[in-house]
Amino acid sequence: MTSLQTLSSQASSLKTVDASLLIAGFENPVAQCQQAFRQLLSATSEPGTLQTMVATDAQPAGLNTASWSLALSLFDADCTVWLSPVLAAQPALVSNLLFHCQTRLVEHADEADFALCNADELDTLQPFSFGSAEYPATSTSLILQVPALSDECSLSAGSGWTLTGPGIKFSRHLCVAGLQDSLQQELIHSRNRFPCGIDCFFTCDHTLVALPRSTQLSIDQPIDQPTDQHSAQES
Amino acid sequence: MSTPQMTQVEGYNFAYLDEQTKRMIRRAILKAVAIPGYQVPFGGREMPLPHGWGTGGMQVTASVIGTDDRLKVIDQGADDTTNAVSIRRFFAKTAGVETTEKTADATLIQTRHRVPERPLQNGQILIYQVPVPEPLRFIEARDSETRKMHALREYGAMQVKLYEDVARFGHIATSYDYPVMVNGRYMMTPSPIPKFDNPKLNGMPALQLFGAGFEKRIYAVPPYTEVQSLDFDDYPFEVQQWEESCAICGSDHSFLDEVITDDAGSRMFVCSDTDYCRERAQSNREQAQENEQ
Amino acid sequence: MYVAVKGGERAIDNAHALLAERRRGNRDVAELTVEQIRNQLPLAVDRVMTEGSVYDPELAALALKQASGDAVEAIFLLRAYRTTLPRFGYSEPLNTETMQIERRISGTFKDLPGGQTLGATYDYTHRLLDFALLAEGETPPSLETDSAPLEPCPRVLELLNSEGLIEQSPKNDERPRDITREPVDYPAERAVRLQNLVRGDEGFLLSLSYASMRGYGDSHPFAGEIRSGQVTVELVPEELGFPVVIGEIVLTECEMVNQFHGSKTEPPQFTRGYGVSFGYNERKAMTVALMERALRADELGEAVNFPTQDQEFVLSHTDCVSANGFVSHLKLPHYVDFQSELEMIRRLRREAGKQENNAPASAVEEKTV
Repeated sequence: MTSLQTLSSQASSLKTVDASLLIAGFENPVAQCQQAFRQLLSATSEPGTLQTMVATDAQPAGLNTASWSLALSLFDADCTVWLSPVLAAQPALVSNLLFHCQTRLVEHADEADFALCNADELDTLQPFSFGSAEYPATSTSLILQVPALSDECSLSAGSGWTLTGPGIKFSRHLCVAGLQDSLQQELIHSRNRFPCGIDCFFTCDHTLVALPRSTQLSIDQPIDQPTDQHSAQES
Repeated sequence: MSTPQMTQVEGYNFAYLDEQTKRMIRRAILKAVAIPGYQVPFGGREMPLPHGWGTGGMQVTASVIGTDDRLKVIDQGADDTTNAVSIRRFFAKTAGVETTEKTADATLIQTRHRVPERPLQNGQILIYQVPVPEPLRFIEARDSETRKMHALREYGAMQVKLYEDVARFGHIATSYDYPVMVNGRYMMTPSPIPKFDNPKLNGMPALQLFGAGFEKRIYAVPPYTEVQSLDFDDYPFEVQQWEESCAICGSDHSFLDEVITDDAGSRMFVCSDTDYCRERAQSNREQAQENEQ
Repeated sequence: MYVAVKGGERAIDNAHALLAERRRGNRDVAELTVEQIRNQLPLAVDRVMTEGSVYDPELAALALKQASGDAVEAIFLLRAYRTTLPRFGYSEPLNTETMQIERRISGTFKDLPGGQTLGATYDYTHRLLDFALLAEGETPPSLETDSAPLEPCPRVLELLNSEGLIEQSPKNDERPRDITREPVDYPAERAVRLQNLVRGDEGFLLSLSYASMRGYGDSHPFAGEIRSGQVTVELVPEELGFPVVIGEIVLTECEMVNQFHGSKTEPPQFTRGYGVSFGYNERKAMTVALMERALRADELGEAVNFPTQDQEFVLSHTDCVSANGFVSHLKLPHYVDFQSELEMIRRLRREAGKQENNAPASAVEEKTV
């Protein structure tokens, strides 16, 4: 955990664009941003459903396709982004975020509208803003890159959850691989702080799944699985 | 009836709003969906239509709509009222999208004051135009105060107001813009729809987005979300009923508009949802033809 | 058989055609040019620019032409156009001390460094209709005056500052929130209040100022200084790092001086109210200054007894585009809501009728949204 604060200063030293590292963004930004947003909207309104995000030919090193697609469609000069130490140390990622999104990178996670992070780097939600009772929407949205995602709970080393709440007719299953135990516990307990909370997007390769704060989580017992199943593995 | 694809108007971005504004609204919409019933403040823009005429709904529609969408716009349940025509034209012109009057065919429905009679499906999005997004506004005029009331879930004042009606009239006298609780947490105005439509909000398979332009608020109800109209154990929520049926399609279960037909004050009742009425009348005709054969 | 009213599309097209015809008026009369409006109705243009928040006399004149002279409609047109403009950057704060002064008056000092200059004003005209204008006679060319451009001069209120008699203008280097991009939140900081007032409806602010001076408020101001003239606008391009001049605009600025009775910690001193407008819109600058001061009641620890001192009341209702939109939306159909109310009233009356001695229940709360 200490690494988060100490290493985040690296981000500041990298806030310049290196033109040699730039790659192309969306080919047709207006249409593709809209498509990506609709996928994010479907994901958030029906938590636990896997979305295959609009893709670009390439992504900056450090980001998977789904994260890059989300960044291109939602980030701009009017919002703030915090990068985890490992991601902040990726010059191509920083250059492309600054160039394509003109986004403002911040050093303190609690000042960020969005936080981009790898699952193995994060053991707590504490650094992020949960919003306040009067302004719950000022919270940080977390984009967490994970090694595997599935709505069937057979992934090894994955946390299996049953999801209930708004956007879910009965219940849904979700399995997110690579989450640290402490983070899982915090995610579950943070439900008690509603309307304050962290809205999460888990991304893996082309796949994205949303877990808004309104979704209740319970750890899966091994029971019958739903019929409609998909999964994604890091490629 | 769908209009042919039109070319986009010159000099303006797809769906009028610039991309930065759309992104700001899109971020607000995602927050709104994540906190069902909570009014997210957003940097509402001036639209080329007057405030109060649907600018909130239009900004939401403009941020959500894509070339694959089929848009339906209704005002008072009808596709052909002047303001619905005007808004539908605006998007046909600025986004070049296909439009439709059929509820079943639409992917996006922008509405003022009604929820269509035909049940909406998962995957459809219903976008409400909202004049006053704050359900507590006529109890407490100050935003700084109502914000606290929502934070503390302090909604007793509304219960008192409704109960005053009961004491005075023997009924809750609010007949439209009837407040609801969303997912057991936030009190929300469903916009000035008749309370007849309130039950449709509960557990609706479609996503519901609400946009208030000059009050600069966006809120949402995700699919399959509990939406309960306020009431009391001894005075349960109830909806409007008519003794009459629709004079065109014979419906005895839809919301009816009263139409005065002559100087003597004769009146008739017809469905307010014009697409629903047309569909029923057509099926009645087909039924009659079958019976003749 | 009854057929539901149809034909919304045709009705709208016809309305637009009729409107264009009425705007043009009698075709025997030459059409008004935008250039004529810009040059000969400059005060109307200034108001549209100020409340429209765009400094562009040509577009403001076009909006006035298109709106048949209706200022509120013209402001709306300009605002809707403004929304679509990309934001390239933010200028440096304007330095009005370097203004090329065309008019400068003070109600507080008889004479002052830099002098007073009446400039072009309606103030001392006798309001007699000039029938020469009706006859369309040319106005004689203006008198030659000692028309050497006035030197930039310090603001009057700074003279009081040296004695410590007036509060310091609060210095704040924070980037002001842009109310056209972000929603206003109450209580609002000064930068937000000022932006809101400058964009606010002139008539509404004028009447509120009047009310606050008549006792519905605590405003006993002096016009410390009113000045009009050209100011340069500078921008610091990121790649250059130093300011470059991007143009000149005409501004009118007003500083009001108000009494402040002091508090436990502060001795009595004067306080300020600040107002500004595009062009020569002096009435607007004054009302902004008056209302700005009135809305400081809370921060100065004065009693807030009247709507004129109530931030949320004043600031949420200044905008003519919003106000006009919401009032005019009553013209839209409300059949469904009205039908709901009809059904309710009929039901209540039926039930009241059953109980003979009861008065008819006719009072259902009226609310139109």
